[in-house]
Amino acid sequence: MRLIDWQLAFERYLLGAPVAADVTLGSSLMGGPTLDVSTGLAIYHNAYQARLQEVLRADFPAIHDWLGDDEFEQLTAAYIRQNPSDHYNLRWLGKGFELFIRQHLVPEQSAPLAELAALEWAFTLAFDAPPGTPLTMQDMAQLAPQDWPTLQVSPSPSLQWLECAFNSVAIWRSVKDQAQFPGCTPLDSAHTVVICRNELVCQYRSLEPEEANALKGLFEREWSFAELCSELTVICGEGAPFQAVTWLKQWVHDGWLQRHKS
Amino acid sequence: MSASLPCLGYGLGLRSAYYQDILDQSPAVDWFEVVSENFMVQGGKALYYLDAIAERYPLVMHGVSLSIGGPHALDQGYLQQLKVLADRVKPAWVSDHLCWSRGNAHQLHDLLPLPYTEESLYYVADRVRQVQDVLQRPLVLENVSSYVRSADDDFSEWAFLEALSRLSDCELLLDVNNVYVSSRNHGFDPWTFIQGLPANKVRQLHLAGHSDYGDYVIDTHDHPVSDPVWALYQRTLDYLGPVATLLERDDHFPLFEELLNELQKARELGASVLNRRQKCA
Repeated sequence: MRLIDWQLAFERYLLGAPVAADVTLGSSLMGGPTLDVSTGLAIYHNAYQARLQEVLRADFPAIHDWLGDDEFEQLTAAYIRQNPSDHYNLRWLGKGFELFIRQHLVPEQSAPLAELAALEWAFTLAFDAPPGTPLTMQDMAQLAPQDWPTLQVSPSPSLQWLECAFNSVAIWRSVKDQAQFPGCTPLDSAHTVVICRNELVCQYRSLEPEEANALKGLFEREWSFAELCSELTVICGEGAPFQAVTWLKQWVHDGWLQRHKS
Repeated sequence: MSASLPCLGYGLGLRSAYYQDILDQSPAVDWFEVVSENFMVQGGKALYYLDAIAERYPLVMHGVSLSIGGPHALDQGYLQQLKVLADRVKPAWVSDHLCWSRGNAHQLHDLLPLPYTEESLYYVADRVRQVQDVLQRPLVLENVSSYVRSADDDFSEWAFLEALSRLSDCELLLDVNNVYVSSRNHGFDPWTFIQGLPANKVRQLHLAGHSDYGDYVIDTHDHPVSDPVWALYQRTLDYLGPVATLLERDDHFPLFEELLNELQKARELGASVLNRRQKCA
C-alpha cells in the first residue's frame, strides 16, 4: 500500500463514525502481543474526538455549563464531523461554532445558544489579538488643540462588538462566578456589548444605545471628534462636547481606541 | 556519544498553569521547553509570559503540528510563523515529532505513526531538509508513542530514526517514556530501541507519565513518571552521557512544587548515574 493511500485511509477512519476500520486499512496494520489492531485504532479515534471536544469545552464553558455533559458532547461531536479542523492551531477550532448552532438547531433553541457562543468566541478573539497601539491618556494630553477637531480613531485590534438579544452576559457571568444558572431570557431591547483586552485582561461592558451609536459613528462612518460633537448635539444640546470628551476618556481608559490609519 | 552536543541540564515544559509561579519563584530549572503552536499568536498573555520567561531562562521550541510525514505539501505559512517565533525566542533548538498530524484534507491534531518503509524514509528526509532550509538550523525529531504499526515496515523504528538522521542531518529527541509505551504495545525490547539510535545525534530526552491499562499503555502525560521509565532513563543516561532532560506534564497539573520535586528526582538520578559513569571511565 502506498504511503499516501495508507494515510488517506487512516484519515477517513479518524474523521468517520467510530466503527471498524475498512478491511484494507485494518489488514495493513499490526498490533502487539496484547493490543489488537482494532483497539489500537480505537485509541486514535477516541483521542481525536476527545482532544477536539476538550478544546471546545475550554473555549465555550458557558455553553457546556448550560447544556450539560451529554448534550454538549452530542453537539460538539456533530460540529466536529461537519467542521473538521482546518488550522494547525486548535485555537481556531471553534471559529464556526456559532454558525453551526444556528444551522443545526431549531431557531427557538439556536438563537440564545448561538448568541452565547458568539460572546464566548469574542472573548477568545480578544484574548490573543495583536496588541495594536492603543491611545493612552498621555497621548490625549499631548494632542495639540488644533488637532482635536480632526481627530479620528479606530477600534483596537482586540475590540469585539456584539448585539445581544438575550441575557447572554448574565449567563456567561454566572458560569465565570460559578453561580446559579440564571435561566435564559430575551432582553426587552437588544443591547451592545463590547469586549476588549486592556493590557492583558479581557473586559466587557454593555453600552447604552447612545454610546453604542457614538462609537459606531467613529468606527464605521469615520467621524472626526468634531463630527461626533456635532452628532451629539441632537441628544445633548450644548452639553455635546462634554459628553463626547467624557466618553472619549472612558474609551481611551478601557483601551478601545487607536489612532485612525487612513 | 551525545556528549558532543551541548547539554542544557534539566528542564520543564512551560505550561500556562505555571507561568506566574515561574515569575514569582524563579525556580531552579535550567531551561524550559515551549509548545511552539501555543505562542504562534499575535498578542496577549501567552506572548507576554513567553518574553518575560525568555529573559530569565534558556528556551527550546517543541512543535506538534509540523506533520513532517503528512500526505500534504509542507505548510509554508506554518513554517514562516515558526521561523518568526524562533527569531523572537532564540531557542537552543527547535523540535517536532516523527509523525504526521495532518491528513490530505484536514488537521488531525494527533501524532500519528508512519510506516517505517523506504518510501517514507526518503519522503520524510526530503521534507526535513526543506524545513531545515527555512529554519536555518537542524530540526530535532522525537519518537512518538504508537498503538498500531504498519505491517509493511522495512525498518524498525530505531533503524528508521538512525537512517533519517543520517540522510537528513536531523537530530533526535529521545522520549524515554514513548519508547517504553511503544515497547509495551508492540512487544519489543526498549533497550534495543535506545541502543539502536545514533548516540551522537541525541540532542534531548523527554520524561513523562503514562496510563497503564494492563494489556496496553497510553501516553497521557497526566501522571508522574513511572518506575520502569525512571529505570530506563538511568540506563539511557549511563549509555549516552549527559543529555538535556525535560520533564513533560500536560494534564492533571500538580502543584508547581510537586513538579519541581519530580524534576529534582531526575536531576539526582542523573547526577548519580553520570558520577558513577565518570568514575568508571
